[in-house]
Amino acid sequence: MATVELKNVIKRYGDLEVVHGVDLAIADKEFVVLVGPSGCGKSTILRMIAGLEDISDGEILIDDTVVNELEPKNRNIAMVFQDYALYPHLTVRQNMSFGLENHKIAKAEIGKRVADASVILGLEDYMDRKPRQLSGGQRQRVAMGRAIVRNPKVFLFDEPLSNLDAKLRGVMRTEIKKLHQRVATTVIFVTHDQVEAMTLADRVVVLKDGHVEQIGTPEEVYHTPASVFVAGFIGSPTMNFITGSVSSSGDSVRLADNFVLTPPEHWHAALAGRREVTVGIRPETFHVADAEDASVLDIKIDVVEPLGSDTMIFFKIDSAEAVARVVPKLGLRSGDTLSVSVDTQAIHFFDPENGQSLRGSEA
Amino acid sequence: MFGKKRTRELLLVSFLLTPALLIFFVYRILPLLWNLVLSFTFWRPAKTPEFAGLEHYNEMIFYDDVFWEALSNTIIYMAGMPIAIALATIVALLVNARVGGRNIYRSAIFISYPMMPVAVGIIWQWLYNERVGLINYVLLSLGIIDDPIAFLQSTTYALPSVMLVGIWQILGFFMIILLTGLQSISQNLYEAAAIDGTSNWRQFWRITFPLLRPSLFLCFVIGVISSFTSFDLIYVMTGGGPGHATELLITYIYKTAFELSSFDYAGALTIMMFVLFLGITLIANRIAGGEAGKIE
Ligand SMILES: Nc1ncnc2c1ncn2[C@@H]1O[C@H](COP(=O)(O)OP(=O)(O)OP(=O)(O)O)[C@@H](O)[C@H]1O
Ligand SMILES: [Mg+2]
Repeated sequence: MATVELKNVIKRYGDLEVVHGVDLAIADKEFVVLVGPSGCGKSTILRMIAGLEDISDGEILIDDTVVNELEPKNRNIAMVFQDYALYPHLTVRQNMSFGLENHKIAKAEIGKRVADASVILGLEDYMDRKPRQLSGGQRQRVAMGRAIVRNPKVFLFDEPLSNLDAKLRGVMRTEIKKLHQRVATTVIFVTHDQVEAMTLADRVVVLKDGHVEQIGTPEEVYHTPASVFVAGFIGSPTMNFITGSVSSSGDSVRLADNFVLTPPEHWHAALAGRREVTVGIRPETFHVADAEDASVLDIKIDVVEPLGSDTMIFFKIDSAEAVARVVPKLGLRSGDTLSVSVDTQAIHFFDPENGQSLRGSEA
Repeated sequence: MFGKKRTRELLLVSFLLTPALLIFFVYRILPLLWNLVLSFTFWRPAKTPEFAGLEHYNEMIFYDDVFWEALSNTIIYMAGMPIAIALATIVALLVNARVGGRNIYRSAIFISYPMMPVAVGIIWQWLYNERVGLINYVLLSLGIIDDPIAFLQSTTYALPSVMLVGIWQILGFFMIILLTGLQSISQNLYEAAAIDGTSNWRQFWRITFPLLRPSLFLCFVIGVISSFTSFDLIYVMTGGGPGHATELLITYIYKTAFELSSFDYAGALTIMMFVLFLGITLIANRIAGGEAGKIE
């Protein structure tokens, strides 16, 4: 059992407030990912949970106990650092048993736990090597092994995969996910990589400038983003944002001269009475127009980027840049013209002033 | 044989190294060789030199009490260096901790190093003075001693007093080396250790100390060098006296050469000192695993 709760947590460095009242309740065995751009306060929040950083205001609770004043060692957590923080002069085995030796655990028990962890992580053949004799991925595993053997209530990860190459990152991502299923512990994982966040998380916490923009499952943050920021941060390539003008009743939005969208019913109330609105269209929401489409847009393709499984095409809607993801077999070239349309069920509307989603109660 | 690029690199490297090597050769290697020649010669100004064989070494080892006294003083003086290193480690740990005003402490401690040894010697000579010295004044006022002590004129106190100054002067330099060593240890290691519940004691001996070993070794080598070369400090404070109570090999060599004009014998003493120094450094490097000054 380990729940983690943040109540209006604030962090100040002198007069500078960098984390502004974060509220977050994490359930037992939940895998929560804190994601956001560089400098948004992810590490700071994680380090406050770990006890490496003082909490300026608010409360952090682990298992319903306030831990604000507890030393890191008394919080029953384990942390994996971005640069692994392995002891360079100790072997893999010594690195993994170091923490246990502090806790006066019997030698035999330590040996057993370290051996078990080494099997889980496939490190059996490297136990007597020093960290510098290991590859990045192996070091990463040792860092995780050091955390696992402790049997902590909560695992904290601070960008553990960012020093690995793309392929290894994918492999380790899967391993971390498997590991979580195996050890069934609460995990708080920090990353700036939205793919990592989406693939690993039970719930994603999107942060911006020290405050929470949205908390939700990967599906929720993807399909019902709360703001332009979340919509733009999650998903790759990033969502297209185009300014549209709204009809007086809110039942149609014009993006270009001959391109008028009919939003689904549940947007109408929110759109009515507005003149302009930011329309969010994901690249995959575009499709090549067919006879059934009510409104189509004729475009001239500026650039074609074939990715193999998909092809990205870049074009302009009036003067706004846009990108669409289409099936590759169309054999498109830059300069070609094409008629496209969008799936109106999957479009988003945001307040152009504050960037908040206009989605009504339907969501 | 070599590729073109390789040849060009070699040329460039040799070109850049030449001035340094030239100076090293002219001021270090040549005098050493010259001393080696002298040590096997009877050589007096205005007389024809004659081959002396091992005569000078024979005299040194079997008849010269001052040599043995100077050697033993040098070794005692050297033994003060581990104390200086231990002190410097403690100071470096304190200064490295996040305490307020640490920059002030840091500068205050380091300032002893760049000070001219002659000036340091004169200041301490005054501090140690029997009648007007601050140290005697403090000890007397506190009632620790009843009569003033002539520190630098006493055969008992002179060597420890001089050693103390040597330690004081080199402490700041050691501290800077160790501080650099400490700061090259990743802060994350300590955070990981804190989360793992490592005690301060264990943290020092299992993390800090092993990772600081190269810096400690560097201090040791510098300490050894300084005990072979602390000429000016000693010469100003005691001139090697009283008697030969603070005579080090280096002051003895100076006196032999420039006061007694026995350049040949001084050459033999110099070679002896060099061999000793080389031996100690090699042994120490072996003990430290050949990683002098290396930073991980
Ligand atoms: N010791 C400090 N003093 C002042 N400001 C700090 C300090 N440490 C961090 N900050 C500021 O706090 C903010 C959040 O930093 P934090 O390290 O939590 O960002 P992050 O989200 O982890 O970023 P990254 O993805 O780059 O690691 C940043 O704007 C940073 O400049
Ligand atoms: Mg960070």
